[in-house]
Amino acid sequence: MFSSFRLSMAWLHTWFGLVLGYVLMICFFFGALSVFDREIDRWAIPESRFEAQPMPSFDAVLKPVFDKLRAHPDEMKEMAGRVIGELPHPDKLPLEALYAFTTHRDPLLIIGGDFTIPNKPKDASEDHLHVHGWGTIDPRTGVFLPEDRLKVGSSFFYPMHYSLHLQWLNLGYWTVGLAALAMLAALVSGVVMHRKIFREFFTFRPKKHTQRSALDLHNLTGVVALPFHFFFAFTGLVIFAGIYLPLSETMLKPLAKQHEVLQAKRTGLPHEPAGIAAPMASVDAMVVEAKRRWAARDMAGEVGLLTITHLGDKHGYVSLFRAGSDQVALVGQGVHFKASTGEVIREDPVPNAVSGVNEFLTGLHLQHFRHWLLRWLYVLGGLAGCVCIATGFIFFVEKRKKRHAKSGSQAIRVVDALAVTAVTGMVISTVVILVANRWLPADLADKGGWERNAFWGAWLLSMAHAFWRSAPVAHARVNPAWREQCMALTGLALAAVVANWATTGDHLVKTVFTVTYWPVAGVDLSLLVTAALSWMAGRRLARREQVIARERSPIAELHGRTKQVRTVGAKVSNG
Amino acid sequence: MADSTSMFLSLAAVSAIVGFAWLALAMDVHWHQVLGSKAPLGVSRAVLRTLGVGGLTASALFCFLADRPSMAILVWLMLLAGGALLTALTLAWQPRLLRVLWPWGS
Repeated sequence: MFSSFRLSMAWLHTWFGLVLGYVLMICFFFGALSVFDREIDRWAIPESRFEAQPMPSFDAVLKPVFDKLRAHPDEMKEMAGRVIGELPHPDKLPLEALYAFTTHRDPLLIIGGDFTIPNKPKDASEDHLHVHGWGTIDPRTGVFLPEDRLKVGSSFFYPMHYSLHLQWLNLGYWTVGLAALAMLAALVSGVVMHRKIFREFFTFRPKKHTQRSALDLHNLTGVVALPFHFFFAFTGLVIFAGIYLPLSETMLKPLAKQHEVLQAKRTGLPHEPAGIAAPMASVDAMVVEAKRRWAARDMAGEVGLLTITHLGDKHGYVSLFRAGSDQVALVGQGVHFKASTGEVIREDPVPNAVSGVNEFLTGLHLQHFRHWLLRWLYVLGGLAGCVCIATGFIFFVEKRKKRHAKSGSQAIRVVDALAVTAVTGMVISTVVILVANRWLPADLADKGGWERNAFWGAWLLSMAHAFWRSAPVAHARVNPAWREQCMALTGLALAAVVANWATTGDHLVKTVFTVTYWPVAGVDLSLLVTAALSWMAGRRLARREQVIARERSPIAELHGRTKQVRTVGAKVSNG
Repeated sequence: MADSTSMFLSLAAVSAIVGFAWLALAMDVHWHQVLGSKAPLGVSRAVLRTLGVGGLTASALFCFLADRPSMAILVWLMLLAGGALLTALTLAWQPRLLRVLWPWGS
């Protein structure tokens, strides 16, 4: 099909890169934002603007909180369709298992649990039916955060990064997985295509024509952050391997069941409840013991994850996992206690080589560690990926638009308009959700829903705008939507900073100097940098449009024609 | 402890940046951009390359002094990306700034 390996790689890189580039842009950008998801949450939920908290006392704070926890109405509705007979009232459902999770960056605590339901399933092959309940609490008081408060960082930007908010048939996960696979292919084919990978390692020539400088920037951001791009695409696939290859649930279900039972026997952690009620010993005492054991292993730390299985049963057990603030792996060094007596059943051994590697790979992507420099470097890597993809789009358009203009094809307009939507449009809608978060009244019913709508609405508008303004591309000129959306972004980013100040009183002088609070200051400062960069980009685009307009103005054309006449005249007189 | 960690990390970042800048200066195009003359002499080129590799190695060393190995390797790879990017952007917009790294001129 192709005359050389390089050409076939170029085809692969161009077309897979273009089609899945739009998805990858979302993955990279929202991934970069997710590095600071908890900080964005604090910006968006002013009542959470306090210091990160350790796991609170279970006996004093969490126990009464879990007594109040109920199965989520959405889960109840979904389960009602899967079981025979009517489900009992949520107040009547017993809590069977629970968890509480925190990291060194969380002021709020995430909790949840499984509730047992007495009904039989309609589909007999389903077993262990549960309904889930979850919530977010202030660990200092045990008060629940109202459910319509949208955690813009961890509940909107972060899921956007890995699922595109497409839940239907898990389509989002699969699309992102495909994009990650295409990313790996694009990296390999990109390296094959690149003729001067070392000679042009540091090459960026902003003063050359757009096609050249876009390619320079594409190569530069692709090559220097190659390890980052490779590892994040790869580890992203590793993290979701269970979704892409659900072996244990489909092909090997009986084997997986048997494995669970054998593992329970080996670890001494009961697989099934005994069916005999038992009281609960002090969990706080277990926490003291776990911390003592961690310190004895020279790994002193805080509890990151607390789980209780078979709650209220004789076989119940409490598992305490150490927060991985000082390591790449997420949580670990689990210590398990018999819930009724508080005696230690088991202390997890040091992970073997395979699980060690797995923990490292997932941990480096999910980053629960305390390392602010590395966090910012990850943001840099993610944004370098965005620049790489965006310049890829621009190069694709620049390379073809003159040819398309001659042949009268309109296809390139579509590619360009989608690029505007995926680049400036995406950033605009991101800033719009922040602006909406601050400007919508706090007591608005379903405030989070309105914020989501603002995000999608802004994105749709930016797309409509990009298509509406795309006519010049068919004449080999630049779509003015690039410039206009840059300018809109400048205004919106400034508006977000002002809105934060106006609605919470947390202006930058306060958050940086007087009452230093970096999570909020960081978001505000990033917004200001966004405003400055988009303003500079917009101005540069405006200047370029003026130059082109001057060259193509009637006077310039007349000037050109007289010159032509003169040359022809000279030729005639000379001839 | 925290202070020595941030000192090592700062040193690692600086070493990665100057390391890449020296490696760039050893290339004809970038030497020309920064110092004006056509290409570095053979000796200068060898010295620049050695300095460059030394800078990147030192950067790795400082990373391992600052953090446990599993973390250090990540920090180092990302510092390399940042250092190379910064060098390339400096060469594009303010190449003369890099003269401080080779004060002997061409």
